[in-house]
Amino acid sequence: MAKMQTPAMEKIQKKNARRKKAYKSTPGRESWKRYKRNPTAIIGLVVVCILILIAVFAPLIAPFNYQTQDYGAMMQAPSAAHWFGTDQFGRDIFSRIIYGTRYSLVIALFCTIAAFFTGGLLGIIAGYFGGIVDTVIMRLMDIFQSIPMIMMAMCIVAVLGNGIPQLVAAIMFASMPTMARNNRAAILRVRGCDYIESSEAIGVSQPRMIIKHMIPNAAGVMIIFFAGFLAVSIMMMSSMSYIGVGLAAPTPEWGLILNDGKAYLTSAPYMMLFPAMMIMITCFAFNLMGDGLRDAFDPKMK
Amino acid sequence: MDHLIEVKNLKKYFQTPRGELHAVDNVTLDIERGKTIGIVGESGCGKSTLGKTLMRLHDATAGQILYNDVDIAAMPMKEFKKNYRSNIQMIFQDPYASLDPRMSVLQLVEEPIKVNNKKMSKADVTAKAKEMMELVGLATRLESSYPHELDGGRRQRIGIARALSLDPDFIVCDEPVSALDVSIQAQILNLLQDLQQERGLTYMFITHDMSVVKHISDDIAVMYLGQVIEKCPAHEIFTNTIHPYSQALLSAIPIPNVHVKKERMVLKGELTSPINPKKCCRFAERCPYATDQCRAEEPVLRELKPNHMAACHYAEQFVK
Amino acid sequence: MSENILKVKDLVIHYETDEEVVEAVNNISFEIKKGEVLGIVGETGAGKTTTALGIMGLLPDKVGHVIQGSIELEGENLFDKSEREMRKVRGKKISMIFQDPMTALNPVKTVGEQISEVILLHDQCSKAEALLRAQKMLAMVGIVPERYKDYPHQFSGGMKQRIVIAIALACEPELLIADEPTTALDVTIQAQILDMMRSLQQKQGTSMILITHDLGVVAEMCDHCAVMYAGELVEYGTVEEVFDNPQHPYTKALYQSIPSLDKDVERLHVVPGAVTDPSKLPSYCSFADRCTEKCELCEKGDPECTEVNAEHWVKCFTYQQKKEGK
Repeated sequence: MAKMQTPAMEKIQKKNARRKKAYKSTPGRESWKRYKRNPTAIIGLVVVCILILIAVFAPLIAPFNYQTQDYGAMMQAPSAAHWFGTDQFGRDIFSRIIYGTRYSLVIALFCTIAAFFTGGLLGIIAGYFGGIVDTVIMRLMDIFQSIPMIMMAMCIVAVLGNGIPQLVAAIMFASMPTMARNNRAAILRVRGCDYIESSEAIGVSQPRMIIKHMIPNAAGVMIIFFAGFLAVSIMMMSSMSYIGVGLAAPTPEWGLILNDGKAYLTSAPYMMLFPAMMIMITCFAFNLMGDGLRDAFDPKMK
Repeated sequence: MDHLIEVKNLKKYFQTPRGELHAVDNVTLDIERGKTIGIVGESGCGKSTLGKTLMRLHDATAGQILYNDVDIAAMPMKEFKKNYRSNIQMIFQDPYASLDPRMSVLQLVEEPIKVNNKKMSKADVTAKAKEMMELVGLATRLESSYPHELDGGRRQRIGIARALSLDPDFIVCDEPVSALDVSIQAQILNLLQDLQQERGLTYMFITHDMSVVKHISDDIAVMYLGQVIEKCPAHEIFTNTIHPYSQALLSAIPIPNVHVKKERMVLKGELTSPINPKKCCRFAERCPYATDQCRAEEPVLRELKPNHMAACHYAEQFVK
Repeated sequence: MSENILKVKDLVIHYETDEEVVEAVNNISFEIKKGEVLGIVGETGAGKTTTALGIMGLLPDKVGHVIQGSIELEGENLFDKSEREMRKVRGKKISMIFQDPMTALNPVKTVGEQISEVILLHDQCSKAEALLRAQKMLAMVGIVPERYKDYPHQFSGGMKQRIVIAIALACEPELLIADEPTTALDVTIQAQILDMMRSLQQKQGTSMILITHDLGVVAEMCDHCAVMYAGELVEYGTVEEVFDNPQHPYTKALYQSIPSLDKDVERLHVVPGAVTDPSKLPSYCSFADRCTEKCELCEKGDPECTEVNAEHWVKCFTYQQKKEGK
């Protein structure tokens, strides 16, 4: 029913007719609708999903074992048998990169979660309580941020040795300040909203206020930063492995594969090209997703 | 007279980088049980701060708020929350911003009941919430809708249901209709009046709209820069306006009648700063009648006629 | 003085997104004579601002569509003009004042620069000359001309709206569209601004469309009044006619729902229901679902405009029948 039928209306009516159940609008669905509208965000999401599938099914996808050394096929350029070529020990780079996806995604996730539960939580506390608590926490974070990340990582490795927990710790410490700052801003923004005051007026207790009102409403913004941090963590991890303070060989980590190829840059550039591209694609996908999430959760922030 | 609320010399100052902001400065008011007091003034006059201080959303800097003769301004927050929070409730100005966007209508109406009656069973809470929705004229089919799907009028009904579900006897209405369209505004005003009659509620109605305040209030207090400058029964503000600022406020309202061409008293300048105000009449700079006395001495609120008070050195001239 | 400056004919504007089509403006026609002030009244979502944006050619890209109709400015159809030609029309021939003065000004430019920028864009003159004219404009809207060197944040809300008006009037446009120019301001400041706008309008002989939801402002400022509901003009006439002899049930209800200053009423008259959603308009009269005077025709078709007299028409079946019955 309308005053004036137009082609656009007919299209929508047809679409609605196809729907079995009536559309029910909730804040979550509205966000998804906004996300869907953004083609680059969809590309980001699809790439991230593919990466996750690759990580899960790595043994099925990789044609070779990632650490089997084949001295009959060393330093081979990309071919039908070895899509991305082989390295100086004759290991299949394609298989190593496929397995590397596991390391990159899982460690990045761990780092981000760790940073969220340390720096992020501190930020939420600082934002909620304000005053002296806020000042102390945020100045502490400033001190943290003034230590160069690589130097801190090297110290950690020097004391505790190479390994995944050490790597996670280093990245966590480096990400904490930014995470704290972001979450604090997210909480502050929600705290200034009228509905917090109106909940206060009906006698909502502090814990309920944080759990039921502040976190759900700040969650959108927090998720946006979370996606961004995944990309940053992957970058940090690779660069640390590349300079030798991250994971130890022979782990098939992208930064380490890059490091392997460093010596042969002129003679075998493919050894660095493929892992570098992989890092780039992954970070790009996470960032596209993050941008899409921003528009979806926070259409006003643009 | 039976006063539900007595406000005595209430002050609320905010510390700002530029000095002390006198948002509410020495306000004394009595609010009669079952009646409506209208607080009028322009933006920045402290009317919302006054309401929020009564709610204890702000802590008073000085002064007393007597609720049934108990000073609620001085008592510890814990005690206030336990014994008085549900008695004094508020309806907020912006129905778009004052409802949590992630909660459905039913959740929003249930929340105050749940929070204040921890022992109540879930079914009872829902039943009470539905009863409240019905009371304010919200169809129960809307219970699973979210605020973003509803228009301003319905959202404001949610706000009213939330405030009423605690069975308060005093409600601060902070510009409850200023964000609404005229046809919807009338619905909400009627609803508020009906609820007052049914439940014997006492209202403090804060607004900048003179015609709304005249319609709904029994008494009116006009505020200017944190102070009450005139207080009288509602009809008197229109028949015998005393303070020059109230006169200007009234004459500035455009009347929807083409045949009334009124003499307008256009004020010079705009609101002066409420930060570190000088000891003088705060309206003196814009007042067409201001004299040296006005610029030197602060007038006090005094009774000029029975129940009619004004704070102006030359008030006698304007009494009819 | 009966020359038409603007003629809007059968204008239909829709907003189209993937999920819905909003019928913002539905078949409206009106004319404005030189020097005339037309008030458009209506509630949120009635299509007032869309009409204004349509005239300015500023409908949002991709979403806003003119489905049919024409807008003629001094006999030329604005829809036939290219974007470049429209840019010459905006500011020079038609200007618009927006509701919120806080966001309409550029915070990093002095107000003098902002006014002279408009002058330089449309008139051939030197920079110094433009600045001089900018100062004159400031004086005209009641701001000390020496303050042309100040930035927007140094002015209060009412002052900013004066500056916005100075920018809009800088090139002496034929038509000024003011979209709720005083809604964000306090009453005493509103009174100042309205006083100033009226005297400027009379001095310059500008035609004006004043969009507002406040009937009081219309009564004070306008010659003609158009009442808008759900994208349609439901009643149009001289202010005297529309205020003294309203015929559309919506117009009547609108008057009755405002609390009056001079009369005492126990209860306000209420228009039942919520404002009609412009994305779900019925094919019959849009107001029928809320109407208290509806007849059997109202839910069958869309009414035509019926003349009350030469200066007054109304879009309502009930009135049509009443008139025919006479």
